[in-house]
Amino acid sequence: MKVLEIKNVHKIYNSSEVKVHAVNDISLDFEKGEFAAIVGPSGSGKTTLLNMIGGLDKPTEGEILVDNTNLAGLKSSGLIDFRMRNIGFVFQSYNLIPVLTAKENVEFIMNLQKWSKKDRDERTFELLKAVGLEDRINSRPSKLSGGQQQRVAVARALASKPKFVLADEPTANLDSKSTETLLDIMEELNREEGITFIFSTHDARVVKKARRVITVEDGKVISDEHKK
Amino acid sequence: MIWKTAWKNVWRNKVRSLVVIVSVTIGIFGGVFAVAVMNGAIVQRVDAALNDEIAHIHINDPAFRDNYDIQLSIPNPEQVLSAIRETPGVNAVTARTQITGMANTATKSAGVQILGIDPDSEKEVFRLYETTLPETGNFFESESRHMLAYMGHELAKELNIIRFRIDQEVIDSLSGKAVPRELLDKLLPFEGKRFKSEKAFKKEIKGVLTLKEQHEYGGVIWEEAWSFRARSKMTLTFLDKDQVQTGAVFRIAGIYDIKNSMYEMSQVLVKNEDLMTLTGMAADEYHQMIIRLDDLESTVEVSASLAEKLPQLEVMHWKEIQPDLAMMTDMVQKFYAIFMVVILAALAFGIVNTMLMVVLERTKELGMLTAIGMNKKRVFHMIMLESVFLSLVGGVVGMIISQALIGVTAKNGINFASYAEGLEAMGYTAHIYPVISTSFFITVTVLIIITGILSSIYPALKALKLDPADALRTE
Repeated sequence: MKVLEIKNVHKIYNSSEVKVHAVNDISLDFEKGEFAAIVGPSGSGKTTLLNMIGGLDKPTEGEILVDNTNLAGLKSSGLIDFRMRNIGFVFQSYNLIPVLTAKENVEFIMNLQKWSKKDRDERTFELLKAVGLEDRINSRPSKLSGGQQQRVAVARALASKPKFVLADEPTANLDSKSTETLLDIMEELNREEGITFIFSTHDARVVKKARRVITVEDGKVISDEHKK
Repeated sequence: MIWKTAWKNVWRNKVRSLVVIVSVTIGIFGGVFAVAVMNGAIVQRVDAALNDEIAHIHINDPAFRDNYDIQLSIPNPEQVLSAIRETPGVNAVTARTQITGMANTATKSAGVQILGIDPDSEKEVFRLYETTLPETGNFFESESRHMLAYMGHELAKELNIIRFRIDQEVIDSLSGKAVPRELLDKLLPFEGKRFKSEKAFKKEIKGVLTLKEQHEYGGVIWEEAWSFRARSKMTLTFLDKDQVQTGAVFRIAGIYDIKNSMYEMSQVLVKNEDLMTLTGMAADEYHQMIIRLDDLESTVEVSASLAEKLPQLEVMHWKEIQPDLAMMTDMVQKFYAIFMVVILAALAFGIVNTMLMVVLERTKELGMLTAIGMNKKRVFHMIMLESVFLSLVGGVVGMIISQALIGVTAKNGINFASYAEGLEAMGYTAHIYPVISTSFFITVTVLIIITGILSSIYPALKALKLDPADALRTE
């Protein structure tokens, strides 16, 4: 079952002097439950592609369909609401809300979606347990290590049971051990919850774990490898 | 969750938030306390005017107030009095005669209004008798073979009925009031001396005191140094009903002190029966009926009812008699609100600046919040709440401090003794008891919330303009 279709997408940045073709006619499909990595050197267009998939940026040309909804057809407010209900985000620098505890960070989106307290508590505990932080639920981000913060960020991304999770260089700031732990957790959640994970990365450890590796260069897909 | 997050965000940068909160606290404290002092002065002025000077409603011949003509008395006074007493809302009524004349002593004279009163009913309408200076008399209560007059403190000083002296009793009394020994030593050379007038006394005493001593202790020295000679007399002269000059010697039945120089200088009270005898007026002839109401709020209503009952007479309530007082009471709340708005407007610039810094510092976080699904309305709401919390915390602390200080000063008052002459010339007492209404605190709270909301609009709009993809790229 397709959760995401990318059809002939282009992204052109026009500055006064130069025209940059950041994404050049990319077409991709993602099935439910995929664990995919988009790899490529810096400036290859992978973050731009990820931003467009996440509805943070609009393609200059082409279509991005999430469950047959064309993101380009949504207005700004509709797009924000769509993101909240369908897409989870994990950022390179964690981006947790520093004044909230791990639990409050995870349940933030559930609050925005007006979940009941009981459902929120259950889901939050379930996720924090899954990422191995059930004993740190009341810790603020400043009291957690980088790896722990990123695990809270993963739990937050999964909180509202999105269609897929976009992770932009999620391991870039982590050491080997934290990276290993985080990848194991994400893989397990991917299998258990059936949620599609799409990473942009140039971390070989992530590429090794990914079951699909899409290589992007100069804004174009140069290979799309499905591992067994 | 947005409320909780906004509240926690306020304390993210404690020093910066505290700077804003302290500035709001100082602004609100200063504003509220200043208003309480102004309000206290006005409340005391209105209270004094209504209780000591004019009461609530006056009834007289329609032409009487033009020139206080002795001939213009109220026809059928007993019927008028009955009609007034039967009117709902009327608490008490007293009948007065009123003529102009001269008050004279051996050395001085002054133009005065002579009010003929009935002491018993006068006490039901006015509380002037409660302001009688100690040992000067007892408001017509003593039997005397002389005609009695009740006069103001200022007039008594002007006519040298009150004199000033420094003696051992005064020195002891000042010592008991914590006046420093070295200052008392400066007064010793004047011991035993009696001064011709208040002016002469103050001139000589000021000559030996420093400015600081005058400012701090002048008031208490003037208060302690006056003396009243028992059985003092003055002559009142005026025209009788046939326009023939007449007069009599009156013994002083008391000196009232209402801290209103103009009133004290001009109003002398005598018994109705004495004035009637001297002027040739009939025993039941009065110029004015003066009414005290049960409830001040019913003034206009009762006044209208009396005007309907007594169409041949002029019925005026206190707001018509003293429009300056009416204007003060009606406008003062608006003035206070404007005063607070000006203070809050100044504080708002500080809050806007702080909130702009907040938005700038949290660009990446705001981008993240928009990315994960926090819509513009909620982002706006969160920033607005942060701004309101900042203002409200400072405001509430400011109001608590001001309320505490008002509570303390309301018991003993604040003595503006060095400005007493100027204040009393305008009818205001120099000893002010700050007071503020609960409704004013509610108004200030609402104004603080509005300030917080308005201060958040520009920074919040800045936040809404952020592109989440760009914001997430910022470091």
